[in-house]
Amino acid sequence: MSELGIVFVTELGRKFRSTIFWLATAGGMLAIAFLVEAPVVLASLARASSSDVVLAGSPALRERAAALMQAHKDFRIVASVDALPPHVTSAYLEAHGKAGAAIAVSLRGRRLHLDVYPKDLSAFDDVEFRSLTPLNIELATGLSPGIVERAGAIERTIHPLDAKFADTREAALAHGVTFGLTFILYLSIVISSQSIMSAVAEEKTNRIAEILIATIDPTNLLYGKTLAAAVIAMAQIALWVGTALLLLPAAATSLASGAGGTGAPGTPHVGETTTLLAILDPGLLVAFAIFFIAGYLQYATIYAAAGSLVSRTEELGAVATPVILPVVAAFLVAQFALVQPAAPIVIACSFVPFLSPFVMFTRVAISEVPGWQIALAVVINVATVAGSFWLAGRIYRVGMLLFGSLPSPKQVFAALRTS
Amino acid sequence: MLVVDRVSRSFGSVVAVRDVSFTAEPGSVTGLLGPNGAGKTTTMRMLLGIYVPDSGAVTWNGAPIALRTRRRFGYLPEERGLYGKMKVRDQIAYFGRLHGLHADEARVRATRWMETLHIDEYADRACNELSKGNQQKVQLASAVSHDPELVVLDEPFSGLDPVNAETMLECIRSLAARGATVVLSSHQMFQIEDACRSFCIVGAGHVRAHGSLAELRRAFPTRTVRVAPDLPAFRALFAAHGAASPRASGSELIYELPADTDFGALLREAVAAGPLETFERQEPSLSQIYMRALGSSNGSAA
Repeated sequence: MSELGIVFVTELGRKFRSTIFWLATAGGMLAIAFLVEAPVVLASLARASSSDVVLAGSPALRERAAALMQAHKDFRIVASVDALPPHVTSAYLEAHGKAGAAIAVSLRGRRLHLDVYPKDLSAFDDVEFRSLTPLNIELATGLSPGIVERAGAIERTIHPLDAKFADTREAALAHGVTFGLTFILYLSIVISSQSIMSAVAEEKTNRIAEILIATIDPTNLLYGKTLAAAVIAMAQIALWVGTALLLLPAAATSLASGAGGTGAPGTPHVGETTTLLAILDPGLLVAFAIFFIAGYLQYATIYAAAGSLVSRTEELGAVATPVILPVVAAFLVAQFALVQPAAPIVIACSFVPFLSPFVMFTRVAISEVPGWQIALAVVINVATVAGSFWLAGRIYRVGMLLFGSLPSPKQVFAALRTS
Repeated sequence: MLVVDRVSRSFGSVVAVRDVSFTAEPGSVTGLLGPNGAGKTTTMRMLLGIYVPDSGAVTWNGAPIALRTRRRFGYLPEERGLYGKMKVRDQIAYFGRLHGLHADEARVRATRWMETLHIDEYADRACNELSKGNQQKVQLASAVSHDPELVVLDEPFSGLDPVNAETMLECIRSLAARGATVVLSSHQMFQIEDACRSFCIVGAGHVRAHGSLAELRRAFPTRTVRVAPDLPAFRALFAAHGAASPRASGSELIYELPADTDFGALLREAVAAGPLETFERQEPSLSQIYMRALGSSNGSAA
């Protein structure tokens, strides 16, 4: 087995056997399970406190309002009464189907008027009552409900400028998926940066560096450790993403089938989740794999080089901040690209090393990109990975022998020149 | 054979090593001596290819030190370090593998060295659970389990108690007996005086003296003679032969005389001069040679 292979396998074994790795992985899975399940719990709590209502008013008006409110699934009418007491209290709501609010409908002139008594003031705004707008128009104009409904519906035809997406729904889903994938890349890099830096700094902090540098090619040590840390990080992230994918459909089902429906915008439906998985076409996944690996390795090698400058683990924070900032910048540019994929600055950034993995992938995922541009970006990314490895190898070689306080950039450059 | 030919190395404006030359034969132990900051570690790092000399050359069996060659070397640096959570056997085997051993062979050698160094009972313990002395043994085993052709040991005795120091010395001797070329640095003159075939004394980056102990002694300009009792006649006699004022050592006086003194004639004259009880000529010790070679020029280079 080659030096690189021995280092890689040994590092992998050590990490997989470490208690910290499994604690962090299990902790992450629990955190993700909590994040996925929390909206379900919160939604059920929110429904109990605000979607369930006591509806009051004259029977004719009340029935019309109830039909509209329930048709739009914004509310569940748990009790209907002709009139509310003079003072509506929490005890009254509790006694009437544990409702979250009481709503009295009445006529004032030729307009609909609502008196709302919510337990939670923040749960009600204008959006909640839009379903009653046709009734208000009907009362004000005397038009029949059918005419009002037809007049309220706006016919529209959307003409896509390119053939990337068939309709707005598909485009919106693609945007969501692209955001999610770039976020995974961002998260992978940020989360594993610390572990890569500390893994590489380990040989310096435990003073074993000199033996290793005297024995093997330092770049093999660097590459072996970086690749092992990368595999560990990706395995960890795969477990976390797997946990999320396992729980999301059930959570979405729970949210979609909850009593009173799903009034909050952006709440996933089962159908949407299925479609979301379905639009992950092989081409997109291949592009993601290429840009993920390229992006990850570009940053990982830089973190490894930064880690080699550290003599004590307490110094990791000092070198971490400046090398974390570029990935934050890349993620922000990708968010801009998500909105303006054809903007000149976005196109330019899709060829800039360290930004390209995020920006070019975003462009590819949501817009039509000429083949030569994709090919050029891939070449640039491969070259950047090679260049990063080369530079990191050199920094690592000198960094491993720079003991003492954290060296300044000037000292690093001087050491690079004399190495 | 290791040949160090006029190597120099600077760090910025600081000259750590300047024109250092020496050779080391297979089956021999060479002592690299010098005060702290004399350039010993820098020299050793150049032997191992960690640093590239600014000028001069280091060759092994006539060829420059390449990465492939370095795998046949073993190194125990002054800064000790181990993977704390790795088991002792795994650690030794890992370094054996990095030096080119097959996985199975590396484990067999690791077991053998643990037995030799009496640490086999800790084979499955994490290194950070071991005492400092035992950790140092693990490091030595990690450095030599692949039967290196050249062994470089930087201060191998530092921090060791007398028993462990003796074990270390035995290992060094056995490595040399098996044909390895051993280069070590140490401040423990007494311990290495017998173990080393040759010495290279460096100060402020320069070689101050180089050669076998016999050669170094031959080059030493004076010899000491222990004399008892202290009689005015003896003082006059030794002064006449060029001795400086004697130093007292118990009931004896120690005279320092030029190396080319005819000590046989001197002894006869002393017997004739008075009731002589002790007349003991002493060869200079390594410590004396070291102190004289360095004089007041203790360096400050890295």
